[in-house]
Amino acid sequence: MNTRSTFSASLERDRFDRFAALLARQLDGDLLLSAEGYPSLTESLVGVHPIAELIISATTTPAQIKDFCFNTPDPALGYISYTYGMLLRGVASDKATDFPLGHLKKYAAIAEYADGQATITASDTDLLNRMTALLTGPLDHAAPGPVTGLPDTPPRLSLDQAGYEAGVRETLERILSGHTYQLNLSTRFSWHCPDLDPLALFLALRHDHPAPFYAWLTSGPLRVLSTSPERFLRVEDGHVLSQPIKGTLAFADYSPELNAHLTKSHKESAELSMIVDLIRNDISANCTYDSVRVEHHKSIFQVDNLLQMYADVHGELREDRDCLDLLFDAFPGGSVTGCPKQSSMRIIEELEPHDRGVYCGSIVVIRDTRNMDSSIAIRTATHDTETHTLNVYAGSGIVVDSKPASEYQETLAKADKFLGLGEQ
Amino acid sequence: MDVLIIDNNDSFTRNLEHLLVAAIDGATVAIAPYAALPDVDLTTPDLIVISPGPGEPAEYPGYERVFSAGKPVLGICLGMQIINEHAGGTTGRLTGCVHGKTDTIRLNGIERVVARYHSLRVQTVGSGLTVLAENRDSIPMCLGNRDDRILGYQFHPESFLTPYGGWFIEYALDFLSLS
Repeated sequence: MNTRSTFSASLERDRFDRFAALLARQLDGDLLLSAEGYPSLTESLVGVHPIAELIISATTTPAQIKDFCFNTPDPALGYISYTYGMLLRGVASDKATDFPLGHLKKYAAIAEYADGQATITASDTDLLNRMTALLTGPLDHAAPGPVTGLPDTPPRLSLDQAGYEAGVRETLERILSGHTYQLNLSTRFSWHCPDLDPLALFLALRHDHPAPFYAWLTSGPLRVLSTSPERFLRVEDGHVLSQPIKGTLAFADYSPELNAHLTKSHKESAELSMIVDLIRNDISANCTYDSVRVEHHKSIFQVDNLLQMYADVHGELREDRDCLDLLFDAFPGGSVTGCPKQSSMRIIEELEPHDRGVYCGSIVVIRDTRNMDSSIAIRTATHDTETHTLNVYAGSGIVVDSKPASEYQETLAKADKFLGLGEQ
Repeated sequence: MDVLIIDNNDSFTRNLEHLLVAAIDGATVAIAPYAALPDVDLTTPDLIVISPGPGEPAEYPGYERVFSAGKPVLGICLGMQIINEHAGGTTGRLTGCVHGKTDTIRLNGIERVVARYHSLRVQTVGSGLTVLAENRDSIPMCLGNRDDRILGYQFHPESFLTPYGGWFIEYALDFLSLS
């Protein structure tokens, strides 16, 4: 019998963030931290002391993942990589990957934050008391501090400007031949930084650049630093919501006219519309007839000095399907593959010299068969604490109207919060 | 009505399935991947739908058995181009290819907004096929043969950008003598 004790308290979000930082620093906690004011706000969650782990490999089946997630009522937190999605979609790759294809954990204690309320649930009274003491004690010292060990040299790029622009030109040729309608092309920025404190980096980013799907995950010597603004799929008592983002406008000084500039762009609108039709398709496999609908098409929010366009795509999960049927049939998200998905993924595999790994996969919280939330793992970095390699990835959606130089600049804009680190 | 969609590895096939179920009373829709085309049972469906998909008709051999099955056939996008090439027509690159954008066409005397996703176009029309709608740039948007019970749409009635997708399915059923 898995008996659990709980503690609840009203709390400011900033105080919960500091508490979460302590749990990560002192108890190796894994973090999913949301932020207010975004259309894809989600519940923040911290997992402490794993009691069960599933490291996903090429031989791990979706049925095994379901068994891990659903065999106890505890929530599972972790990531599923884009590389695992390639296997699901039948896209072969012989590139080396330095991360497991996924890593999910269940925990002895969970701390959650939603609607101004923090709740700690633990199977161990001592652990509950220790976490409660941290939460109710002084937290000033847990504020984000200076980040040590930041790289002060330029990154190595898997696709430098010339390589990226050549990739865009090749993509345009594939579009003209009909093999893809839109394709997301990415590049990887790598640094060797032996003295980097990656958790301090994550917390500083979180403080300075809030977004709804921040995640700090440990996987052996590896660390995931995800700062994503994008929801992939949420299932809430069977109600499905996807919020694909496409259409980006970088700005230095915001003015309301910029919104109309973005929504009136035929190119940016087409990018979003294509991915909306794609996610409609991908959820329809597991949703009831007549339930799939689009709302708030071409809505806009701001994140990281970028305007981003998105839509809400709704559906109702079929009674005979669970949230992981939905996730795996739709995975990886269309906004990071392009359309049609399988053909675009094959071209991506051809044009990108790097393995995407966690990047463009998903950070997931799976609660039960009809409740989960997940991000698209964009604006995401990884750090290897043994090789001291920091990898940052960024990409851009290529459509027929794309200009190679502009698309490269868009990748830089998306990576800017990481790229500017050495200048701080 | 039993409907079979042959799926050319497309990412809009399920949208098509949901549209067909919504537009046809009592329809049951089955989906067969293109790879199963040589073996799929074509005797039971009342309507065979050829889906959109990446690439050009030449990359999808084997559709002869669909056209010789004696069933009404509806082709969408690539599916229309496959119908056209089966009739001896040709496919070429579309100048100013268009994806995820809307256009206006007139079909059966009614003007409708439709969603377009295509890099290629019907270049020359196959024998026996009549162009039933085209856009203002004279790109064929619908073609068919009522006697042979074949119809193709170059645009995407299943897109959320096509406001009256069900109307196009009703037109197809009428054209194919299924209503």
